[in-house]
Amino acid sequence: MNLKLKNLLPLPLRDRLAERPSGVWQQNVDLRQGDLVFVRAPSGAGKTTLVHILYGLRQDYSGEICWNGQNINDQKPEKLAQWRSQNISIIFQDLRIFPELTAWENLEIKRRLTNTVSEQECMGWLEQLGIAHRKDKPGKTLSYGEQQRLAIIRALLQPFDWLLMDEPFSHLDQANTQKAIALISEVATRHKAGLLLADLDENHYFPYTQTLQL
Amino acid sequence: MTDKATHSLLKKLLLQRGKSSRLWASLVALTVGTLLLLAAALIWWNFNELLHGRGSNDSLGSTFLTISKRVSKERSGRPETTVFSQAEIADLKRVAGVEDVGMLLSNDFPLAASLGTNSGMDFYTLMFLEAAPDNFLDKKPENWQWQPGNIQVPLILSREFLNLYNYGFALSQGLPQLSEETISQLPFQLIVGAPPRTQTYTGRIVGFSDRITSILVPESFIRYANEQYGSGSNKPPSRLVVKVKDPSATAFNDYLKAHDYATNAEQLRLNKLRSVVNVVAAATGVLALLLMGVSVLVFLLFIELTVARARDSIRLLLEIGYSPKKLIRFLSGQFMPLVAGVLIVALLLACALQIIAAVGMKKSGLELSYVPGWPVWLAFMVSGIVLFWQLRKGLKEAVGKV
Repeated sequence: MNLKLKNLLPLPLRDRLAERPSGVWQQNVDLRQGDLVFVRAPSGAGKTTLVHILYGLRQDYSGEICWNGQNINDQKPEKLAQWRSQNISIIFQDLRIFPELTAWENLEIKRRLTNTVSEQECMGWLEQLGIAHRKDKPGKTLSYGEQQRLAIIRALLQPFDWLLMDEPFSHLDQANTQKAIALISEVATRHKAGLLLADLDENHYFPYTQTLQL
Repeated sequence: MTDKATHSLLKKLLLQRGKSSRLWASLVALTVGTLLLLAAALIWWNFNELLHGRGSNDSLGSTFLTISKRVSKERSGRPETTVFSQAEIADLKRVAGVEDVGMLLSNDFPLAASLGTNSGMDFYTLMFLEAAPDNFLDKKPENWQWQPGNIQVPLILSREFLNLYNYGFALSQGLPQLSEETISQLPFQLIVGAPPRTQTYTGRIVGFSDRITSILVPESFIRYANEQYGSGSNKPPSRLVVKVKDPSATAFNDYLKAHDYATNAEQLRLNKLRSVVNVVAAATGVLALLLMGVSVLVFLLFIELTVARARDSIRLLLEIGYSPKKLIRFLSGQFMPLVAGVLIVALLLACALQIIAAVGMKKSGLELSYVPGWPVWLAFMVSGIVLFWQLRKGLKEAVGKV
């Protein structure tokens, strides 16, 4: 699945962004499946807005987003659901864990949607990221770091052509970040997927093939 | 297909926050609303059956009327002036609202009845008989037939006559009062003709009539006996049985008045009751529809509230790839059985009401079916379709709003 951005500009940020030079806003950008893209974005540049627009959560923009040549704004909710469960996965900046479900249930509700990852493998990932012992705790009692690791695993429990990440390691220490990067790389390679990571600072989490300044 | 584990997770996310007392209250309201709707259909159909059905339910006002010419001072003593000519009968058939006209044939031969016991003759009276076409009878008894050579003659007695005997004659003469069952057991001797040419038949009462105030025998018997023992002349009828669409219709009543025809006034009075009953049934229907509407609204509001409470979870489920259709299907799967349960409970209660009504009416001599009629089934199906459709629509809208 390829991604094309045409003259994109979020309406609420129009005044602020129109005068700033950007490699994304009001530009034509072509990204191919398998690309490893880093979007560097200082605070207030619209990083989360961009990720949400790409994922089809916001429609308040001018320009076009085309996934495989299809404008995301023209898609029906059922088609969007299909993309979100089969083609595009996401790690939200604000994590978005179900607070009333346990850590394991948070993963199960996603895993059972497509059944692409086995229960054992999922358990292995929990152990790999060091949160297996917290699997029966309700989401609301987990620390931000634990929630972030849970959100990372959840994003990998489906087939995907692209993984969108919005500050995916902001609550993790160096060691846990490395573990998460290793897991993401392994699964993304398996799916021959592209990665798009938006973050504030320069980083070398992945061997990026393209860096865009927001 | 949603597997069991996903099902329980979705249940935990979407349905835990709703208060079950509210759900039960809305389900009870919905059951009452549906039941009332079915009950209105039940009332309407039952009264319709009592008034227009084929059963012997004439005590609620019949559409069969007996018509005769009024006996005035001028006509008194001149029987030929109180009979109906063929032209008059044909004319009556043409009146708007008249569906059928039947002639009451009366006996044209000497007739006496006696009730014999072992101790000798106890009861002897001169009497008369009449015959009406079979389709004008309240209910045709099973053994309602006679052919030459038969000694047994079936009789249908007017309930009014039996009442007159029981409450007037028997009491004043010190004779025993007779129930319908008892009198049906008594064999009467019918002595037909005058000496030297007489024939004795055994008469047995096989039915009772609210419709025709007379003692009826099969037409074949009257025709045969008139021919054998009567004067031989074909006497025109002095009474007609008329089947009308609506006995209280003005056109029909004006016609009766204009031609100075008399009819059983009691039936006309009962027909007024009929229109009152129609109004009551219609009012119940309107009330039921209103209540049903309100209860459907309450139930839909409950669903909307449930979805609104689970708004955050639904939004996140959609964000992680659940399709709106899948969520609507899941929620429908939760609420549909409740709606189906409501419909079934309401239907069972309606069936119970019908049985209670049928048993109660039977005591009053009215016949009702033990199974609800088609309008009840129709109301059941329509309310089912409307409820399921509204539920699906309500869920779609509620999930769509998220």
